[in-house]
Amino acid sequence: MKISGFKYLANQGVENIWKNKMMAFATFCVLLISLLLVGSSVLFYLNMNSMILGLGNQNEIAIYLDPNTSQADVDTFGYKLKEMDNINTVDYISKEQAYQTMQNQISRGKAIFDYIDGYDFMPDGFNATVVNNDTIEDTVAQIAKMEHVESVSSMPQVAEFLRELRRVVSIIAGAIIIALAAVSMIMISNTTKASVFARREEIQIMKYVGATNSFIRMPFFVEGMVTGFFAGAGAFFITWAVYRSVYRILTEQGMLMRAFGIGSIIPFDNIRLYVAFAYLLAGALIGALGSVVSTRRHLDV
Amino acid sequence: MVELQNVSVTYSSGVDALNNVSLKINDGDFAFVVGSSGAGKSTMIKLLLKEIDATSGVVTVNGYNLNKLKKRKIPEFRRTLGFVFQDFRLIPSMTVYENIAFVLRVIDAPVKYIRKRVPYVISLVGLHAKTNSYPDELSGGEKQRVAIARALVNDPQLIIADEPTGNIDPELSYEIVELLKGINDQGTTILMVTHEHDLVRHFGGRIINITDGEIVFDEVISGVTDEPLPEEELAHTMAEAAGAQPQAPAAAPAQLTSTEDALIDEVIAALTGADQGGAE
Repeated sequence: MKISGFKYLANQGVENIWKNKMMAFATFCVLLISLLLVGSSVLFYLNMNSMILGLGNQNEIAIYLDPNTSQADVDTFGYKLKEMDNINTVDYISKEQAYQTMQNQISRGKAIFDYIDGYDFMPDGFNATVVNNDTIEDTVAQIAKMEHVESVSSMPQVAEFLRELRRVVSIIAGAIIIALAAVSMIMISNTTKASVFARREEIQIMKYVGATNSFIRMPFFVEGMVTGFFAGAGAFFITWAVYRSVYRILTEQGMLMRAFGIGSIIPFDNIRLYVAFAYLLAGALIGALGSVVSTRRHLDV
Repeated sequence: MVELQNVSVTYSSGVDALNNVSLKINDGDFAFVVGSSGAGKSTMIKLLLKEIDATSGVVTVNGYNLNKLKKRKIPEFRRTLGFVFQDFRLIPSMTVYENIAFVLRVIDAPVKYIRKRVPYVISLVGLHAKTNSYPDELSGGEKQRVAIARALVNDPQLIIADEPTGNIDPELSYEIVELLKGINDQGTTILMVTHEHDLVRHFGGRIINITDGEIVFDEVISGVTDEPLPEEELAHTMAEAAGAQPQAPAAAPAQLTSTEDALIDEVIAALTGADQGGAE
């Protein structure tokens, strides 16, 4: 086909949107709603996941070194700890800090500790958070094998709980997303079918004058793609506005942030491009394919 | 050229629509196909359009053996034909110009050619003033003229007209057939299905009658009038627009005797029966 032929068919596709504006609008709305349903579910899942990971990051490993370890060795240990793959943050707890903390934690601690001379008996220690809470037990085992380590402790049951929570959330979210995607596809399919059905005679006429299937489908493809693209753009802007508002409200709640890991909610700016790309691509693809597939049954003339 | 050799069509319901039909229409012929409802006219049209396949026999149209024609070759075959339907089948969202140009777009004709050819064909059917009108804005006769222009625009070897006068006023019917006759004069084969005996009687020519899926009559008869109709002026205009020499009205058939006239009436009445109903 010549370039002028492609240009003609592409123009026809765009013109058809205007000529069949009611059906195009219906397709646009259905696509918009479908994209919003699936898109917001995916974003909700991603944020839940991030929040659970955030909570996991608060799960600390407490490391106590041999009290006789020299300061130079303590420093070296701290450096090696920071270099480990799964270690996120490392806080050094000196003998003196540990002594003070213990004094404060025990009732009448000051009176008791007055009988003890100095704090050299206390171990140097580190509190570390991990990148991936799921492998915290492996990390603890690795640290336990390191030189000068007297004891390492973590709360594996927290990690286990969070892992389980994440699994359950993933399954539920996955099922919801699949169900919504299926419902959306049915809605889109029915709308595009109705749109194409309204023009079945037009398709038949085209067949009678010798148009090939691809020639007939091309304008429908362009029409579906353009409609889907705009639906994707609409879904993106709505998501943007709603997401930012929700994000602002939640992040203003400092207590919630700490308690539920809401501080781990993904800022929209971090995912803006991905969301835009996903919406536009999904909208254009679903719109185009939905239209083309719906023409199939009318092409057999 | 259209050739049917011992063609039978039996639908899945068990209905025998065509039964061992043989027929040949040569290039440049004009033939009327008549018959009552359910006689098999529509089935024959569907066969010729390759909408359905023959259960047995051989169907050849414009050199294509339709029995062996692959699905992907159907568009190529259909481009050698022009169709005119009773219900016009114009694309409502396209103007007169776009409807006609669409046929040339399909064959990927150069834009320059389309810009030249389409207005020419529109002028042939006398619709220059309606070039940018939409089908909804046209009368029945005008719509049918657009359909004829569309059938004509890619210079087909054969035009199949299925009840082209079925949805228009009787007086306009003559105009439409005149137009088709004019196209036929230029060498295009025309196959026109109709149930209007007045038209058949008026124009005469080759008449093929199908009854109960069989051809019961296939003869050439003379037209019953030699009076030029007002519409014939249109044919002259058409020929002039085509740049051809205006053709003199076809030699009038010999004046019929009252006996011959009565005989033709009898034949046509017999051929078309009491069928005054709509198209199949």
